Amino acid sequence: MIPMVGVISVNHWPRSRSFRLWIPLFIVWILLLPLAILTLPLFLVVCLIARVNPLEAIATFWAILSGCRDTHIEINNRDALVLIRIL
Amino acid sequence: MNEHRRQILEMLSAGKITADEAERLIAALEKSDAPASVGGASAPAKKAKYLRVLVDAEDGGDPHQGPVKVNIRVPMQLLRAGVRLAGLIPAQARDHVNQALHEKGIPFDINQIRPENLEDLVDQLNELTIDVDVNNKNGYGDEKVKVRVFCE
Repeated sequence: MIPMVGVISVNHWPRSRSFRLWIPLFIVWILLLPLAILTLPLFLVVCLIARVNPLEAIATFWAILSGCRDTHIEINNRDALVLIRIL
Repeated sequence: MNEHRRQILEMLSAGKITADEAERLIAALEKSDAPASVGGASAPAKKAKYLRVLVDAEDGGDPHQGPVKVNIRVPMQLLRAGVRLAGLIPAQARDHVNQALHEKGIPFDINQIRPENLEDLVDQLNELTIDVDVNNKNGYGDEKVKVRVFCE
């Protein structure tokens, strides 16, 4: 299943200068869907030129998108804590 | 495991080892056998779900830098998809990639990354653990960096 929510959190020390941004990715996917449909013919042409199976390419792209789910990146130093999570 | 036990007994009867040594060897055999028997012989190996990268850097007293901690968790599914993506790279592009890798001194052939080898590759990653400890001296003291890469 593709990720539905992304979280970007930045905590500066002291903690009063902090923010947490929840990105509803499902809305992004819905908005990108018409664009994806519009660019589909171009994508097929590119696949034909590159001699790549378009179905395999779509499946791989989908697998990458699905694989991003549960990714967690946390960087913490003296000044700030940056957290990126894909849920 | 019975075969190992028999070998120990044969060594004992041949006088190659003493009774004490034989006892210790059998005890060691039983110990190594214990974890497998707890899970059951037919229990499948637990598959790792994530690749973890932990970096713990101490500043060594440098007032401008400070300690840095990095904690990254990448799902194995993403690695699988990445390997599949490598299979989609056109042949000409692969040659360019191979050439660039060789120029950088990395003797790796990207053509070897194939979807059919994917599961073997990921299974091998399950047992991967890389620990790197670096000690550098800077103007303020010892700078220590610990990097840990493992699967969980």
